[in-house]
Amino acid sequence: MAALSELLGDLVADVDGLFLFTPSHSHYEQFAETDVPTVVIAPENTVEAETFVELPLQFQNVKDRIRFGVEGAMEQSIVEAGDTIACNVGVFGGDLDSLVRVRVEENMRSGIYDLFANSRADPGVIRDVFEVAIELGKKGQKGEPVGALFIVGDAGKVMNKSRPLSYNPFEKSHVYVGDPIVNVMLKEFSRLDGAFVISDSGKIVSAYRYLEPSAEGVDIPKGLGARHMAGGAITRDTNATAIVLSESDGLVRAFKGGKMILEIDPEAY
Amino acid sequence: MPGPVSASLVHSSAGPEPASTAASASAPVFTFESAAPLQTVGGAVDDIVRIVGLRFLGVLAILFLGLVLAYVAGTLVRRLLISVGVPEAIEGTAFERTARDFETSTVEILSWLTRYFVLGISVFAALSFAGVNYADRFWGLVIAILPQLFIAILVLIIGVVVGDKVELLVAERFRAVKLPQVNVLPSLAKYTVFFLATLVALSQVGVATLALIVLLASYMLGLIVLSAVAFRDLLRSGAAGTYLLFTQPYSIGDEIVVGEVSGVVQELDMFVTHVESEDTEFVIPNARVLDKGVGRVR
Repeated sequence: MAALSELLGDLVADVDGLFLFTPSHSHYEQFAETDVPTVVIAPENTVEAETFVELPLQFQNVKDRIRFGVEGAMEQSIVEAGDTIACNVGVFGGDLDSLVRVRVEENMRSGIYDLFANSRADPGVIRDVFEVAIELGKKGQKGEPVGALFIVGDAGKVMNKSRPLSYNPFEKSHVYVGDPIVNVMLKEFSRLDGAFVISDSGKIVSAYRYLEPSAEGVDIPKGLGARHMAGGAITRDTNATAIVLSESDGLVRAFKGGKMILEIDPEAY
Repeated sequence: MPGPVSASLVHSSAGPEPASTAASASAPVFTFESAAPLQTVGGAVDDIVRIVGLRFLGVLAILFLGLVLAYVAGTLVRRLLISVGVPEAIEGTAFERTARDFETSTVEILSWLTRYFVLGISVFAALSFAGVNYADRFWGLVIAILPQLFIAILVLIIGVVVGDKVELLVAERFRAVKLPQVNVLPSLAKYTVFFLATLVALSQVGVATLALIVLLASYMLGLIVLSAVAFRDLLRSGAAGTYLLFTQPYSIGDEIVVGEVSGVVQELDMFVTHVESEDTEFVIPNARVLDKGVGRVR
């Protein structure tokens, strides 16, 4: 008759690190002094941990969340391929309720961490745009599914590789993404065709933009339409990141360097 | 012999038993004077008793009214403070934490202070109504100084709380800056607010504060001169940036030339313009943009 705690014992046997996902203060204090290195992965370093990976988006999907954390830790050379780690993560609600044993592998580098941490635009700006896209995908525009295309970062170059479809509603205005009122504006303008261009610091430079990149060597999945193609292609020509909400399947996808990096379902958030 | 009189007196003062001692002390005086003619003239006694009773009733009413008013005022203050969100706003300040240690809170303290103040006023009102001889200078002084003292204490408490809060806010603002020396700024801000509050409180109660004001003036002057010197470029750039943001002679995506720098505008804010050429990103202070003039490449 095995004791239940053996179940956990097997999971944490010779791990190289303990990953705590958004731990509470007391929880972190409890495990900070264990014999394996502790890494905190959270939106903000509230527990003042030494090794910390910023989680820009509260990924609902636990797999994405863990993958993001591991990737960030690899990027910061906290762990490397071949290590085994224990992830203490909350699946239901905020409490850390489960323990996952993960083997770090090189192919876990999907570029999600890179998308947020190493893009030209500020991580917070990319997160805000993601949130707008996700909210738009969830509710649509007046109940109808709607598509949208946001080009974030490297705005100067993007503006030079695109032309206006009509008057720019954001001309001579100083509005930034993340402001709740601006998010409503973005939703309203999303019924217009064309792309939103957003600068590195989150300023909305233009709406109604027709992108004119060269589409050679763009690697996007078959079956996606012109909006994704345009968004994907401009990220190859510039250092921008494209965040696309599909009108047909309602998924939010992110492109960088001409490649699709992330695909999330707004309904899951 | 004076049985019925004292009985009637007791009857009339049965209510005011907890009333002020001064008022009840004046009562027996009347009884002994009126004790002799009691059996002969009943009506006069009734009159006297009525007069004494009325005065008692007045004192009692004022005290009672004061109690009720004090309670209501305290409760109102508490409700008001809570409804404008004071408890959340001052959460975590040192004063609040100290108050918590004594199992109370800043809001409670303020509401009790209000109660005592109103109660104090009503006690004085009752005393004057009872005709107690408070006219000597001491009590006059006390009455004159009481509201000022109240306001001074209020200002001090508000000053301490606001100072703590300012310290927290400034510290929060600079938390991203990992520089140990920066810790001076929050406490500097805190003590500035403390100093101002003390100054106001002291001048409220009439203590000579001229030296402190001179100190404050020199401190402020130093601060202004220092910041004028230190932030000169920032201020200049800020003024230029305001103009540039309003008129937008160039916007993101335009190719511009500023002095010997040229490139595509990537970002434009209050203080600087980011211009990117093939291989370099320049950060140009807006003051320089106005200084050198800007050329737009078509």
